[in-house]
Formats: sequence, structure tokens, C-alpha cells
Amino acid sequence: MPTVIVDGQEIEIGADERLNCIEAARRAGAEIPHYCWHPGLSVVASCRMCLIQAGSRDPETGAVSMIPKLVPGCQTPVKDGTVIVTNSDAVKESRARVEEALLIDHPIDCPICDKAGECLLQDYHFEHGQSERRADIQPFHSRRRDVGPTVTLFVDRCIMCTRCVRFTREVSGTSELMVSARGAKEEIDTFPGFPLENKLAGNVVDLCPVGALGDKDFLYQQRVWFLKKSENVCGGCSAGCSLVTEHNQDTVYRLKPRENPHVNKWWICDDGRYGWHHLHDPSRLVSPGHRGSDGFTEIEWADVVTGLRDDLKAAGSLAVAVSPQLTVEEAWMLCAVARSIDPEAFLALGYLPTEGADESFPGGFTIRSEKAPNRRGVEAVLGMFGAATDGVIPGWNELLDRVQAGDSKAAWVTAGHPTPTTSWCDEQTAAAFEGLDCLIVQDLFDSPLAARATWRLPAAGFAERSGTWVNCGQRAQCFEQAIRPPAGVWPEGRLYWNMLGRNGLYDPTGVRQKIAESSAELAALAGDLPATGVDLRLHQVAAP
Amino acid sequence: MTETGSFQPVLLEAVGVENGHSIDSYRSRGGYAPLEKLLAEKQPADVVEMVKSSGLRGRGGAGFMTGVKWTFLPKDHPGPIYLCVNADESEPGTFNNRILMEDDPHQILEGTIISAYATRASTAYIYLRYEYPQSWNSLQTAIDEAYAAGYLGKNIKGSGFSLDIYLHRGAAAYICGEETGLIESLEGKRAWPRIKPPFPAIEGAFRKPTVVNNIETLACVAQIARRGVDWFRSVGIPADPNNPRDPGSYGPKLYCLSGHVEKPGCYEAPLGITARDLIDRFGGGVWKGRRAKAVIPGGISMGLMTEDELDTPLDFAGPGKVGCLGLGTAAVVVVDETVSIVDFLHNSCRFFAHESCGQCTPCREGTSWSLRMLERIRAGKGRLKDLDLLAEIGNTMGMMPGSTICGLADGAAWPIKNAIAKFRDEFEQYIKESNPTGYMETDPVPALPIVTAH
Amino acid sequence: MIANRKVLTDDMVARIEALAPRYPTKQALTLPALHIVHDELRHVPLDAVVEIARLLDLAPAEVQDTLTFYQFFHQEKPHGQVRAFVCRSISCALRGGEQVLDHLCEKAGIKPGETTGDGSLTVEPAECLGACDFAPCMLAGDDLHKDLTPEKAEAFLDSVRGRNS
Repeated sequence: MPTVIVDGQEIEIGADERLNCIEAARRAGAEIPHYCWHPGLSVVASCRMCLIQAGSRDPETGAVSMIPKLVPGCQTPVKDGTVIVTNSDAVKESRARVEEALLIDHPIDCPICDKAGECLLQDYHFEHGQSERRADIQPFHSRRRDVGPTVTLFVDRCIMCTRCVRFTREVSGTSELMVSARGAKEEIDTFPGFPLENKLAGNVVDLCPVGALGDKDFLYQQRVWFLKKSENVCGGCSAGCSLVTEHNQDTVYRLKPRENPHVNKWWICDDGRYGWHHLHDPSRLVSPGHRGSDGFTEIEWADVVTGLRDDLKAAGSLAVAVSPQLTVEEAWMLCAVARSIDPEAFLALGYLPTEGADESFPGGFTIRSEKAPNRRGVEAVLGMFGAATDGVIPGWNELLDRVQAGDSKAAWVTAGHPTPTTSWCDEQTAAAFEGLDCLIVQDLFDSPLAARATWRLPAAGFAERSGTWVNCGQRAQCFEQAIRPPAGVWPEGRLYWNMLGRNGLYDPTGVRQKIAESSAELAALAGDLPATGVDLRLHQVAAP
Repeated sequence: MTETGSFQPVLLEAVGVENGHSIDSYRSRGGYAPLEKLLAEKQPADVVEMVKSSGLRGRGGAGFMTGVKWTFLPKDHPGPIYLCVNADESEPGTFNNRILMEDDPHQILEGTIISAYATRASTAYIYLRYEYPQSWNSLQTAIDEAYAAGYLGKNIKGSGFSLDIYLHRGAAAYICGEETGLIESLEGKRAWPRIKPPFPAIEGAFRKPTVVNNIETLACVAQIARRGVDWFRSVGIPADPNNPRDPGSYGPKLYCLSGHVEKPGCYEAPLGITARDLIDRFGGGVWKGRRAKAVIPGGISMGLMTEDELDTPLDFAGPGKVGCLGLGTAAVVVVDETVSIVDFLHNSCRFFAHESCGQCTPCREGTSWSLRMLERIRAGKGRLKDLDLLAEIGNTMGMMPGSTICGLADGAAWPIKNAIAKFRDEFEQYIKESNPTGYMETDPVPALPIVTAH
Repeated sequence: MIANRKVLTDDMVARIEALAPRYPTKQALTLPALHIVHDELRHVPLDAVVEIARLLDLAPAEVQDTLTFYQFFHQEKPHGQVRAFVCRSISCALRGGEQVLDHLCEKAGIKPGETTGDGSLTVEPAECLGACDFAPCMLAGDDLHKDLTPEKAEAFLDSVRGRNS
């Protein structure tokens, strides 16, 4: 194994790994500060913050020879015998000089800057800078201009790392951003009339190491040090991008991509990034209700648990739409509940929203046309319950046909699609359910279908539940609950848990273990899943 | 041109010749015959070996061995390989390429064709700075003549070797003289120098193997082909036998003499003439009978020599021995005793602040900060502390300490550090006299709006 | 700001396209195209940038990125009928280049970088014009004006104005 020596400490790297000094030093616990380098972008080595000393150790004699000058860690690959020094006086001095240079024209308006608290310029200055200002003092200025509908630029905070420009050229392929002018006069800009407007635009804000690029959706909403971070997965499409949900006091403030080399690398699309506002939409359903002979009344959850079972028993043959928004665990419990009431219950994949075609970008990122996160997980669960006919899992249309044909007397429709303004189910479709004895609708928002429901139950949003989703690439990812749902809402899993007569709090991990034990397809869900998930296919191949 | 002993100008032989720029004149002086002979008799590898053994070092500023540079090209590359001719001569004080292009463009073309043959390049781009419209016209005319005479185009003189030469016009940016800045500019982008490796020989213009050579270097190639390796090595300063890393300074060199001399001009002399010789014998001495205060040895980025250092030989090794950056472009600029060193350094700092490409932090901010300090010092608000700060910027910015991608910052740094080191007393006196109440101040002071930096 | 009017003439487009075989990429035509437009119009308006970008399969921001780097191309309005670059770098400065620049501007009634009211002349400071043997010097159009003095600068100004009237 190749050995790299970082500040005197020997570490081994993989024989085929191509690492630069920043990555290699990180393995040894030495963080080399850097601005312009980003693993997802081309290397420009221009910020010069990552300058270090490098050399090589002779394999025969063990003698170390160092390159006489400082070298950029980002641009210098390591190989067997590479020696990296990150803590010498020369390196420290160089970092202090770069910090000083970057702050010459910086407005230092941290008190009104959104980035404060997560700003590399701040962090590095604290760690590597000097307290004394030696440069001529410039008057305060911090010009702001919008570069697109979602992103704004604080021109004078920019340190010209050009990450954002490279992103639009290399990853989104849209090239809206540019550097204008040269030398100390240069600025980031767009061409007039051609704003930064692409579905990956928000990533430039995450990439910005300082407070130059701001997300208008987040601007001045919250100081970042109040935010708590939860590891989530995006429910916007079947790509299943890994996310961090950032929230405070049960309110989500922003979503950021979570690095996952198997799924989304470092990026998310804007549909996903801003796809949390529905969680706090005032039109959300927040209490369960029952439509009886005396009209529609709100009821207690405890009555739902018992009432549902009685109603469905009375109605007879049951059809269940298992929404691709549900987690694997919830889908499994729902099927179990349904089959405990009607052993012949018809189980189908719920409504699956789609939009156009898959949209791919030059950097390899793809937004999927299938606008739900867990079709594959739900289908696997339905398979476990023998829902397939002739090898095909029935879907929403088959369920509609069945209901219309009068083959079912009761239907349980789960949905949870994040569309407050346009319902996923129109009047005409909803009318198909009119002849039923019992209709349960579990959804985030009111709809023509919910208006016809015997039982109208509120659903939980993506950040309000925990569980497992399986994306379009058969990668299963577990995620945690970020915030509590609005008062009055039980996440689906809690209802099913109670209806199955389980004791205590809903335990999705326990349910997952049980599923993994009883399904070859989902066997990989056993144990603790890594943060980046597991590939179900690989585990099936490996299974004896 | 004036003689130096037995030395007769060769690079400048067409200067003063009537119609010297025409193809007929060039051929009558022996031009293009070496090319034809070489195409008929030599393999590209032989030509590389010829140039390598001549000891020719690049005339653009860095002084790298031209033949060695060519050997960095990958062997048996399927092509295309590009030859970029660096005619973006922008170093203040430098105009030898202009003279060559205007007065003897065919010498350039012959050198280019030979070099392209040696490097197996099929296309050569001459990157010509915007400021040289006369050079553009004379080169374009010469290119047309060369095509008509069969020295360019397909299957040159039946050799099977084909070459196209295109002129590419710059747009006033000093950094395009840096070879990878030139390549980026040629590709239609901002001329931000590339990180190396990969070096252009491996991945250059349009991501293909590329050689970048200066105009005067190519003229030397033409002369080596005409007059031979032995002739070339008989001119100049041989390698120091006590220094195995010294490749010597062989061949003739064009020295551009300007500033405060009686007879400014471009003079050809063997490498190694001293600055004093150049000024006195070619330039007619410092103008108006004055003394030189300082002399730039090779373009402003090389720094300053004092009057005491004028006996330094201007070969590749000489200027470095007196603390200058190097020989650079061998553009010698004389500054007489009446000039304030503060004004001199201001001019230098303004140039580099204007021309810094803005890519690397230390150069972008260092050039701008140093200009800002010089502005303030000239406005009577200087502090002695500024001199320490300037010296520190001079010592920390550049490719040599490793803080930048290209050498522009070294060029910006050297005038600063030479001026402060060699003329500190004058700076201190200026600051004390112009700012009698504040020169001892050490706290940060308000910056002036930079008004003179257009 | 963008009027989406057609700025590039068929002739300009033809001249740009004629250069295409010289380069393996379309982007390499950026500087030649900008020069062709600038030579004709004495500026490269934003609309022209959009048209050039379209011609070269680039985003307008990519062309503009290059254009603004060189600080050579006028954009908002055309430069004067004569564009004069007065050298201010060291060799010229030592021999009075900056005084010539100031004198010329003062007589023309403009600041460095500006265009005279009648549109006849734009005076711009330039870095080394590579004619230090004739310092101080000035490049006006294709003409190199050598060994300038304030008097010669005034005579030049008169000739430019005479040409215009």
C-alpha cells in the first residue's frame, strides 16, 4: 500500500486512489485550508490558501527531499513516499498572508452577512489569520445585485475563488456566470438579460465559501448557528438525493445537499432545494376527521385507531393504494394492517406523479421524471405481500379500475404529494370512489378525493418522519425525522403501529430489521445503514 | 548597427536594407536556402538535436533551453501538434520583436517553419499583440509571399511536410505573453495562466501538445540553420565550467536600449555585453551628460541595477548576481539621477496592478495594495512602515516563493524589492520630508481612492 | 439593455466564419470576432456579444468574460473616429509620456479614457507600446507617433479635428 507522510505521521492510501494533498492530509487528521478547490470542480489552484510544503522520501535510503518552494495542496497529487508538511512556519506565514490579502477589500460586514457562522473566510481568519490589520483601510461598501431569480450576489464579499463560475460551466452546463474585468477590479457577474436561471442554480450558494452568493429564499431568515441539521433524503423525485434539513423549533429554513458519491455527489436541484415550503403551508390537513350521517366532524386519533378497523371490517373487500411517498417501513405496516383486516385486500402502488422526461446535466446530475421518492421500496414491500399478478405490481390505474368495477367496497388511499395548490387527484378521478362504503384518504392537503372521504387523515411531510426510501438506482437510504409534524398530525407510521397493536413508540428501525429478515430483495436493510445508503442489487448478488 | 569587435549583426542584417522585408531580399541574403536543404536532408529529430546542441536559450524572458523544450513533446503523437509563436511582446522597455517583424519577417517565418518541422507541428499561430499594426501588415505580406513561393502550405518543397501559419491578434493584455496565458487567449478565453503540470508540450493549445517560442528565438533558429551550431556557440558567454547547471549564454542577442540615453534603439551584440558598454558604446551615454541612477537590465520586471552595478554582463546569469530577477528580455532602460525612485516604483506598481490577471490571490491583491501604498506615499501620506510592508509583499508574492501560478508576480515583486533594498535611504527621506507629522505612524491609515490608475 | 437588434452585418458574419477553418474550436474565434466587430463599429455592443455567442455556440457570459478581461473593447458607446493610445509605461514616462498624455487631454478637453464631444478622438493611456526607441510615443489608429512633445501632440489634435470638420 502506498504510504504518505503527513506532518511526520505515516498513513496508507489505496493503491488505486488518486488523492491530492488536501485529501491525503485529511485522512491524517490535518485540515489544509482551501477556497477554490472543490472535489466536484476542475482544479485551478488560484486562491493559494492551500499552500503547503511537499517532498518525497527515497524508498531506498529513507532520505527526504523537499520541493524548495511552497506548493498548492490541491494541485499536488500524492504517491508512495510523498511527504506533506502542513504546520511549518512557512506554511502558517503563507496562510496568514493570503488571509490578509483577501481581507484588504472585503467589507467585513459579518454582522449583517448570512454566511457568518459558516464562512470559511471567518473560520480561516480565526485559525490562520493575524489579528492586526496592516493594509490601508477602505471605506465600507457591500454592493448587492441579483444574479438570478433565486440567487443574489454581494459583490464586495467575493474572494474570486470562481467555484460558482466553474459550476455553471462544468456541472450545470449553462454558463450564466462569468468573471468580468481583470486584476483587483474583477467581479462575478451575469450577462445582462441572461440571469442565473437553471435547475441547479442554488448549488452555487452552497459552493460559495464566503457570503458573496446568497440564497434569496434563506436570506435574513435565520442565523446559521441556530440551525440544527438532520440527515434526510429528498422526496422530490426518484433520484433520492441525500440532504441535510436545517431547522429550528420545528421550522425548516433550508435544505442543503449532503455528499453522497453514489447518488447526488455534492449537488441537489432547486426543485428539491426549495421543496420544503409545503411543510409549513397553512392549508395543510392537521386533524383527522370522520364523515358520518351527521356530516364531517374532527375526531381524536384514539378513535381513529379503533374506528378505522371497525369500519373497514364492516365494508368488506378492501383496496389499498400504497403511496410511493411512504417509507418502506410504513408501506410494510400499512400492508400488514390491511391484510389483518381483509386477508384478501387488494394492494397496489399508489398514485405516481411524473413530469416530462429525465433531465440530465453535463456534470452527470439527473433530475428524474418520476416525482416520488420510493416507488421501488413500496413495490418491494408489495411483492412481499404477494400483491403482484402475473409478476406485475398493480398500480393506481388498476386500483381505479377495480373500484369502478365495484370489486372493492372499501378503499384506503395514501398520498402525501407535496402539491398544496394543484391536487394530484381531480374531480373526475375522485368520482370513481363515490360508490364505496368506506373511503380512507391520508394526505397532506385537501383534494376532491379527500372531500369524499369517510375518514380524512392528515399525513406527515418528508422531514417529519423517519424511515427508508429506495431510489431509482435501487439504493436504499435511511433518514431521520428532522422536525415534529404540526400539532394534531400523526405520521403514517405511528397510526399503523398503533393499529397493529404494537406497544410503545413507533420504532422504524425495528420494523426495518423485521423486513430485512423476511425479504431477500430487502435483505440489505439489515443492521445500521451507512449514511450514503446501500445498493440493494449488490447485496442480492452477494447473498448466498 | 554598431560593431562589437568582430561581431556583425545577423538578426538585424535586414535593418536599413532597402526592401529588406521582401522575400526576394531575404533570399538574396541567403534566406530559405537553409530551410530547403534541411527539409531535403534532415529528419525532425536531427533539427531538434541541432538546436539543442547550439545551446540556444529562449529569448522571451525565462531563458529556457529551446531544444530541450522541444524534446518534452510526446514521441509519436498522432497530432495535431501546435506551434505558438509568442509575439505578444509587452514587457515595458522591449521592442526587439517589433523590429524583427517589421524589418525582416521572413527570417521569423523561416525560423517558424524550421521549428514546426522539428516539432512536427502542422499549424503555427503567431499571437501578435494588438499594438503592432505595422508588424501585422509586414508579417501577413510575408506569409502570403511564403505561401506563393511554396514555403508554406501542403507538402512544402516536396518534403511531405505541411504547415499553415496564421496570425492571431491580441487585445492589450500583458499576461498573454505568459505561454499558458497566451494559449488560453488563443482559445478564446480570458488569459488566465494554467497550472502546470501538464506543461504545454503535453497538453497545450486545444488540449494538444504545443510549443510556445518567442519571435527572437525563432529568428535565432533560422540563423543557426544558416550559419551552423559552431558559429552560434562561438558567440556569447560559454557555460561556466564550475557550475554544471549553467547552460551558458550562446549566440547574438537583441538589446533594447531606452529611457535616458542619447541614442535609444535596438542593438545586436553577443550575449554578455555589460550594461555600461551598451549604454556608452551603442547608446551614446546617459543623456544630457547626466549620471545613471538606476538601470533596468531586461524589462521592468527584472528589477534595478545601481550605477555601481553597470559592469554586470548582460547574459542569462549576470543580472541575477546583482539581485535582479534575470536577463528577461534584455531591454535596458536607463533612469537618470534626476528621477525620483518613488516615481519610478509607482510607475512599475501601476503597470503590474493594471496587468495582473487577477487569478492568484497574492498577485491580485499584492499588486493592487502596493500601488495603493505608492499612491499614498506620493500624496504625502507615506509612513516608514510602508517600506517594510512593500518589501514584504515583494518577498512573498510570486512563483519563486510558490505563491502564484505564473511569473508575473515575480516581475511585479522584483522592482519593489530591488528599489527598497537599493534605494531605501531615498524612500525614507522622501517620506520624512513629505509627511513630517505622520511618517512614524504605524496604525492602519485610510486608503486613497486610486485616481491615476486608469 | 438588450434590444435584440441585429448588429452583425452579413459581411461581418461571413468574415468571422471564414476564419473558422483556422481553429479546431469555435470558441477560438472569440477574439477575432470581437476584433472584426470592434474594427467596424468602434465598440462591441451587448447585442453583438449575444450574436457572437450564438454564432460560436457559447453563452453570452462566456464571450463577455473574455471581452471584459482585455479591457480593450469599448462596449457602451463607440470610441472616437481616431483612437489614440498614449504610452505611460517606464521608457515613455521617463521621457515625458505622462506630460504628453495630460497635455493632449487638456487641449482636447477630456480626461484620459474619454472621447471628445465631437466624437473625433478618444485618448487612452496605454501600457508599453513597444516603441521605446521613439519614446514618448502614441499609437493612433495604425500610425505610430514618435518622439512626442506637447507641441507635436497639439499638432496631432489639430489634424484630427481638421479631418473631422
